[in-house]
Amino acid sequence: MATTVKDVKKGAKNLTTDKDLTAPAVKPLTLPKDNPVIYPLTLPESEARRQTPAVGQRASRPDGRLHGLGQTKYIDDLTFPHMIFAKVLRSEHAHARIISIDTSEAEAMPGVLATLTGKEIPVNSFGPTLQDQPVLADSVVRHRGDGVAAVAAVTEQIAADALEKIKVEYEVLPAVFDSLEALKDEIKVHPPHSNIYTSKVIKKGDVEKALAASDHVFHRQFRTQMVEHVPLEPHSSVALWDGNGRVTIYTSLGRITLGREDVARTLGMAQSKIRLVGTIVGGNFGGKNEITNEPILALLSKKTGRPVKCTFTRGDEFISSTIRHPFIMDYTSGVNKEGKILARKIRLVLDGGAYCSWTGTTIGKGSILAPGPYNIDNLLVEAYAVYTNKTTTGAMRGFGAPQVCFAYESQMDDIAEKLGMDPLEIRLRNAFSEGSSSPTSQVLQSVAVRESLIQASERFGWKEWTQ
Amino acid sequence: MLVQLKVNGELRSADVPPETTLLKMLREHLGLTGAKLGCDVGDCGTCTVIVDGQSVNSCLMLAAKASGRDITTIEGLANSADLHPLQKSFEELGALQCGFCGPGMLISAKNLLDKNPEPTVPEIRDALSGNLCRCTGYTKIIEAIQDAGRAMSSAGA
Repeated sequence: MATTVKDVKKGAKNLTTDKDLTAPAVKPLTLPKDNPVIYPLTLPESEARRQTPAVGQRASRPDGRLHGLGQTKYIDDLTFPHMIFAKVLRSEHAHARIISIDTSEAEAMPGVLATLTGKEIPVNSFGPTLQDQPVLADSVVRHRGDGVAAVAAVTEQIAADALEKIKVEYEVLPAVFDSLEALKDEIKVHPPHSNIYTSKVIKKGDVEKALAASDHVFHRQFRTQMVEHVPLEPHSSVALWDGNGRVTIYTSLGRITLGREDVARTLGMAQSKIRLVGTIVGGNFGGKNEITNEPILALLSKKTGRPVKCTFTRGDEFISSTIRHPFIMDYTSGVNKEGKILARKIRLVLDGGAYCSWTGTTIGKGSILAPGPYNIDNLLVEAYAVYTNKTTTGAMRGFGAPQVCFAYESQMDDIAEKLGMDPLEIRLRNAFSEGSSSPTSQVLQSVAVRESLIQASERFGWKEWTQ
Repeated sequence: MLVQLKVNGELRSADVPPETTLLKMLREHLGLTGAKLGCDVGDCGTCTVIVDGQSVNSCLMLAAKASGRDITTIEGLANSADLHPLQKSFEELGALQCGFCGPGMLISAKNLLDKNPEPTVPEIRDALSGNLCRCTGYTKIIEAIQDAGRAMSSAGA
């Protein structure tokens, strides 16, 4: 007769008692009550663990407790046995040809274990859209933050001292700093290519005809400045090259899968041999969306057989990480007597800095959003991104949206003032509604611009404020 | 050079190069990575610790200068039984986003509450003037400090 599960259970019941199934009481570990260095041993379960479904609940962050205890481990908090430290020497010029780089004196310093120049990097270019950026510049520096050589040493101090011993000979080239100047292509940042490296045009209706038919035409140029993300945590990474020819990189990067593609490209290695480990990022805001010195650390680790760490100084952070694109925006709007916008013509010039980075996304989003959330039948948006010999511009919160918002909302105020209208009224009169068509003719759904404007203005007392 | 400190009630020492800052000694020689390196020039406050009852940018103080003194870091805020009231209110009110400014903020806040258990909002702002938060969370941080102050006062009363 076959034994059934039921039989087994029956037998088991006879063999064990309930007492056997109960875990023995654990005597709590006793520690001096006022020991200030030990973390609490037992605490009520974190709120975040019990929050589901989340809607309607007061939410707490799952990582909030560790943040408060100072236990969250950011990249710079990690150490590895025999870890050494890298520093990157940056260009002295905005635009120059590199004639020679001599690292011999730095290499001879006690405590210096290796140096690296761009020529030693298997594929010395990367970038999320165009691969136009060198990991370390090897022939030309295109802005003041371009790295030209790296040093790995047993302490950060020795690495910093060694940078001063590296001799770089430059032939200074004329540089271009203004994006409108750069449009003329008189000084090229990436010759023989034009400085205009990406552009976008959006057309709808007949803008010239509608402008001619307008009662009022408004024109103004708006400019925005460079903005650095300034994450409180500087970029940081640690690379460990192992004996199997694989490399593990702990990095403050926010996009580790894209980062791995770039690292694989620059090292000329299969992605399967590269492991990128991300952790909690101490502020990203778009500035940690692409690799910086990860390939440099990987190669220095390969050369030395030691884990290599590099944490940006605040100075590195400002000059060599990406920043927000400055925009020069020419807005021309045609409006009728009632305040209806009939036409809007826009030219955007994006200062791309020395390399492309996330400009593709920025120019796309900036152009599409440039006319604002308003029903305008006749549109022309022309956008150009240009190279200049300045800090590379890339992703930053909103990808171009805040710049154009500043321009179109400023122009809405200009229009309201000229027509003697309430600034809220001019917006309500033109705002998108359910089924409106976007500048690229996308039919919009779940549109609540008017409702939001009305509610917000009621809540903060717009009427009282303007009286 | 040998530097001896009292950190969170415990006597600690390390042999450090003379240029070592207090922050570097705590992080790299004593393994206390709670205080952070943000700017290295005393602007951002992520490295704040308490030295003899004064909140200090530990990136600007040489380890040797802290020799023999009493240091409190974020690791010393909780005890084996419970979180510090500030840690509780920061967690409950969601006062920290990326968390990188947190240890410095909490230490500055603790130093304030130790001296002034029920501070006004301007007093809190003043105490946090050396601590930057880039995720723009100051409102909740101020609320959390007031909340903790009230909790500590009512527990003490």
